[in-house]
Amino acid sequence: MKSGSLFFLGLAAAFGLSWSGIVWSNAQLARLAPYYDDGEGTSFPARLPGSAAAGQLVFRDLGCASCHTQQVRRPGFGSDTDRGWGDRQSVARDYIYQPYVQLGWSRTGPDLTNLAGRKPSAPDAATLMRLLYGGQGAMPAYPFLFENRKIAGQVSDAALALTGRLEPAPGRQIVPTDRARELVEYLLSLNTTYDYPEAHPVPASAGEGKK
Amino acid sequence: MSSASSQVCAEAAAVHAECGQEPGRCPLLFMLGSGILWLVLAGVLSLIASIQLHSPDFLAEHAFSSHGRVQALAETAFVYGWIGNAGLALALWILCRLAGEPLRASNWVGTGAFFWNMGIAIGLLGIATGGATAVPMLELPPYVQPLLFAAYAAIALAGVAAWTGRRREVMFAAHWYAIAAFFLFPWLFSVAQVMLLWFPVRGVLQAVVGGWYAQGLWTLWIAPLALAGAYYVVPRVTGRVLPAYDSAPLGFWCLLIVGGWTGGRHLIGGPAPAWIPTVAIGAAVVLLFHYIVVVLNLRTGFSGAGISLRFISFGLAAYALGGLLDAVTAVRGVAVVTQFTHFDEAQGQLALQGAATMMLFGALYFALPRIVGRPWASHGLVRGHFALSVLGILLLAACLGTAGLVQGWALNDPKTAFSDIAGLTRDWLHGATAARALLLFADMLIAVNFFTTLVFAPETGEKEGAS
Repeated sequence: MKSGSLFFLGLAAAFGLSWSGIVWSNAQLARLAPYYDDGEGTSFPARLPGSAAAGQLVFRDLGCASCHTQQVRRPGFGSDTDRGWGDRQSVARDYIYQPYVQLGWSRTGPDLTNLAGRKPSAPDAATLMRLLYGGQGAMPAYPFLFENRKIAGQVSDAALALTGRLEPAPGRQIVPTDRARELVEYLLSLNTTYDYPEAHPVPASAGEGKK
Repeated sequence: MSSASSQVCAEAAAVHAECGQEPGRCPLLFMLGSGILWLVLAGVLSLIASIQLHSPDFLAEHAFSSHGRVQALAETAFVYGWIGNAGLALALWILCRLAGEPLRASNWVGTGAFFWNMGIAIGLLGIATGGATAVPMLELPPYVQPLLFAAYAAIALAGVAAWTGRRREVMFAAHWYAIAAFFLFPWLFSVAQVMLLWFPVRGVLQAVVGGWYAQGLWTLWIAPLALAGAYYVVPRVTGRVLPAYDSAPLGFWCLLIVGGWTGGRHLIGGPAPAWIPTVAIGAAVVLLFHYIVVVLNLRTGFSGAGISLRFISFGLAAYALGGLLDAVTAVRGVAVVTQFTHFDEAQGQLALQGAATMMLFGALYFALPRIVGRPWASHGLVRGHFALSVLGILLLAACLGTAGLVQGWALNDPKTAFSDIAGLTRDWLHGATAARALLLFADMLIAVNFFTTLVFAPETGEKEGAS
């Protein structure tokens, strides 16, 4: 290896080669269109409502993805569907409208892909608010997303219904900030209940796989 | 070149050869010193993040110290602060040594290093106040990234000048790795910035580009910076030609061509096109060839004496083990257990702390006396640093690895309630916290030793240099 320019060309070629992989995936993924369902008269996935999109920014800047994934693997590969995290595997089409895709890399916390569509029961806004305020198990509390306010006159409609160790002092109430509200809006927008054709690449044979 | 300037060059080289004084040492020392300070800060932050894994309420009351942000801060301070500064400074020094010339464009290096560190400081403040991008290894807020890019270019200019201005045409293995790192980082960094931050690509492609960047940062920047040091120091200290050196170019090109493709293994089972993880699995296996070549080349270090070789040999062993684990955990049957668990983190730390950092330490222990012209202030601190680092890394990798396996098996068994899994791993995570504390203590030892060497050492070296 003596020639400097040849060496440099080699570097460029090696880099360009792995770069070509990105270009190729782009060619495959960039043209993915939403899926129009004649029966329902609308197309899927839906765009995030504005408040949920703002909530995704909260999710992103707090680094929630360092403990929560948003990708369900196919039935039989891990226990994702058995744990009720989703009815089907996640597919690329699920994410086309997400401004910041948060696939995540760790499952210290549960997967959130289909949080709002979980069966038999998905969490409601009040449950998520309490979870964010107080934490639970390995999940930390996020008290800075809430205001501990004096009750002036009536208790706020948005005040959390808290009991036990989380109950505020008499005369005080815990009210979510805008950021908490947006984050919960976002979490409640997470669902993948619509079945795309490509979500079941292998037809489930009778009696196995799908519930 | 005029005769006057060539005479100046010759004199500078003579001074350099006689007493090891480096004309451009100030910027290098600034980079090494700030790198060590970022390393200590990263150690503190990693310790906090580690405590939060088993005691989630620890420092949870403020947004800036919540787990997600502390994790991002620790990673950024470590990768860009420590490896960026120390890795680049050592690579520059090695390129100058190989060229037989003093550091050229040292003003550029100094200016670049100043803005690089300022960019990191602003970036960390940005992450703490909510500017993180949530892209692994690229957490720095978008607004400081162009500054870092420009600062990097100013530093790298000197590296390129040292390479093109070398006296002999021949290139050594240390050259290849250092130059590859210098050239490839700006490409990688700018491409990731454009595709993820300025004009974000759509949907899952973001995750593909993010994975490619994180892998590229390791394969095309961090690992080459560390290997440049190892390939330079091992033959100098042992005084022997590297064995199997004929195969070294193959090992180098294998890393460059194949390494960039292995990032997709993190997408196994995910919503990306299936060929991406499949190619990555193949690439991770082919990459074993690179690890074999590097171990064959540098194996003389294992039997050599001296603290530099002990650091580098430990780093080399961690590097090879990390490569093997990458290949094994890329296999789908293994990935189904280890994916998304603490095992991933164990592999990451084995690579960053065990392989890259230990090799950089080895090069630093070799380089600093030659840069400042006097020995390290304390041998006791050097030995303590080595012992604590080895202990810390082994404990960290073992605890996180075991926690990951326990977690992975429990996750795959739907009968184990999710809320019980944290309890199963808690003891191992306590072990990981102890390991983080050991590593922080080790990093403080080298910080004390480094700054004592700069400030309090006898002046003899200085006088010889001036005469």
